[in-house]
Amino acid sequence: MISTKKWVAIIGVILLLSAGAALYLSFRGASGTVANVYQDGKCIYSVDLSEVEEPFTLSVSCEDGTNTIAIEPGRICIQDADCPDQVCVKSGWLKNSASPIVCLPHKLVIRLENSPDSANTIDAVAK
Amino acid sequence: MQTKRLTRDALLAAIALVIFVVELQLPSPVPIPGVKLGLANVITVASMFLMGPGDTLMILLVRILLGSIFAGQMMALIYSLSGGMLCFLAMLLLRRILTMRQIWVCSVIGAIFHNIGQVLAAMAVTSTPQLAVYLPVLLVSGIITGVLTGLTAQFAANRLKLHPFFSHKP
Amino acid sequence: MKRLAAFLLMLVLLTGCAPKQVSTTVFAMDTVMKLSVYGDEAVLDEAEALIHQLEAQVSVTREGSELYSLNHTGSGTVTGHAKELLDRALALCSRTDGALDISIYPVVRSWGFTTGEYRVPDEEALASLLSHVDYKKIDFDAGSGAVSLSPDMEIDLGSVTKGYLSSCLIALFRENGITSALVNLGGNVQALGTKPDGSLWQVAVQDPKNDSYLGVLSIADQAVITSGGYERYFEEDGKTYWHIIDPATGAPAQSGLISVTIVGTDGTTCDALSTALFVMGLENAADFWTASDDFEAIFVTEDNTVYITQGLQDSFTLSEDHSKMELQVITRD
Repeated sequence: MISTKKWVAIIGVILLLSAGAALYLSFRGASGTVANVYQDGKCIYSVDLSEVEEPFTLSVSCEDGTNTIAIEPGRICIQDADCPDQVCVKSGWLKNSASPIVCLPHKLVIRLENSPDSANTIDAVAK
Repeated sequence: MQTKRLTRDALLAAIALVIFVVELQLPSPVPIPGVKLGLANVITVASMFLMGPGDTLMILLVRILLGSIFAGQMMALIYSLSGGMLCFLAMLLLRRILTMRQIWVCSVIGAIFHNIGQVLAAMAVTSTPQLAVYLPVLLVSGIITGVLTGLTAQFAANRLKLHPFFSHKP
Repeated sequence: MKRLAAFLLMLVLLTGCAPKQVSTTVFAMDTVMKLSVYGDEAVLDEAEALIHQLEAQVSVTREGSELYSLNHTGSGTVTGHAKELLDRALALCSRTDGALDISIYPVVRSWGFTTGEYRVPDEEALASLLSHVDYKKIDFDAGSGAVSLSPDMEIDLGSVTKGYLSSCLIALFRENGITSALVNLGGNVQALGTKPDGSLWQVAVQDPKNDSYLGVLSIADQAVITSGGYERYFEEDGKTYWHIIDPATGAPAQSGLISVTIVGTDGTTCDALSTALFVMGLENAADFWTASDDFEAIFVTEDNTVYITQGLQDSFTLSEDHSKMELQVITRD
């Protein structure tokens, strides 16, 4: 049997390490200003937040529902969603953070990166 | 004996389910996917030490399946299930080396594995490896809530083990 | 774990050897131009200079431009790029048998499309203006660049300038050793090579009926240029009038088409044909395509059917929210 003291020590170490990592990650800024919106792991939209001049919104639908994404100069958030947990809406503005906005029920992720996701995005629109 | 066992497990599953559903109604304290109190874990941990892994697995599966249906999120089933199963495996190993006064440890380690399972599932479902950045935050919250629910389970188990209802050990 | 490892490996590869992407945004010719180049930043300054130089030569509203003085005096000389552009434009007018006519400018102006003060011109005035529209009456010497117009004639190269410009920019990039670039001149898109990782450029085509994407083209070394009634239009007495004027009638082209996209290696050709084929209508445009071999096309008709030419079968896909639209393939046989 391992003594309770040892267990406390083991758990204490894990807690400290996690807290340290969490603090480090929350202070580490995003790698760039391009917000990539992923649905099901596929980048469906990219916008360079530093180049946005007028606020606008974007609707992203999937089988399970819709998320309304608001984009303003320098920041992006999920304004409205019909997912049950609303965690994505409560996450608020994504401005300069390494942690993405996630809507797990709708498999939607918004991440700040330094370039548009090259694999799937539209490079230009002919109009 | 079978009827007694069935009744007992069904009762515990129902209690776990009620706790789970009530917890769903509480607003999430921090807007981070996956952060929650995990109160239903009290039942899982306690039954692990009162009745052993077989009954616990049944109770856990029933709770996760019905819980996902009641929450109206079948997507959540994947996260709960992968978290729940990893947690169960960890508890399975710990159960043999922990005394009745160390039950809370089982809850904490279980919570850690639950979080790892959840994040892995979320990474796979969304194909976004970067979701790993949430793991440290989830671990901090998981350890804190794990200690609290673990102590609750420990007190409950130590009282309940004296009751004839739980005297049957497989 | 495998996925994570692959991801990390990709990250290392991407940051390790790909040339840096540099881009710039230029406001010229009443539109926003975005140039993205994988290579040296210095070339973008040259590109910007080229844009402003061409605009200064062929602007019809800027006093002192070669085209301005030509329109106001009836004769003049065009030089350099303006000369080349006029030469190409006239060749395309005759190739499309006047479906494109650079002398339509006074008619377009009478509808207010050049200034934004939209109005339906009265019939008599329109008929009189239309009588002067005929690109064949432009006397142009490609050697010296000397041009003379018939009386009351004015020309505008707007329908080919951006296509010509994108081809020039791509040529400039190529001369500077660049192998991967994308220019987007207010919706006229042209690509040099592929993306640095070897994948094709993904160019979405605007849905003429709303703000979404009709579909996506995968291209390399090609221009994609769309003309549609949705770009500039006004409504009066319940009727919609758009800026694409049929040189035969002097009125907005009512051909049954609402958008035409041309894909080809030469930007000037694509730009000219996107307008000309819109004017022609689906049937004549399809015949025109059958007789040509230097472009492919996407047509959208008023009844919301999408027609693509044979050569685009593998490179064009309707976007997910448009997958229910009818898609017809035009073939040569």
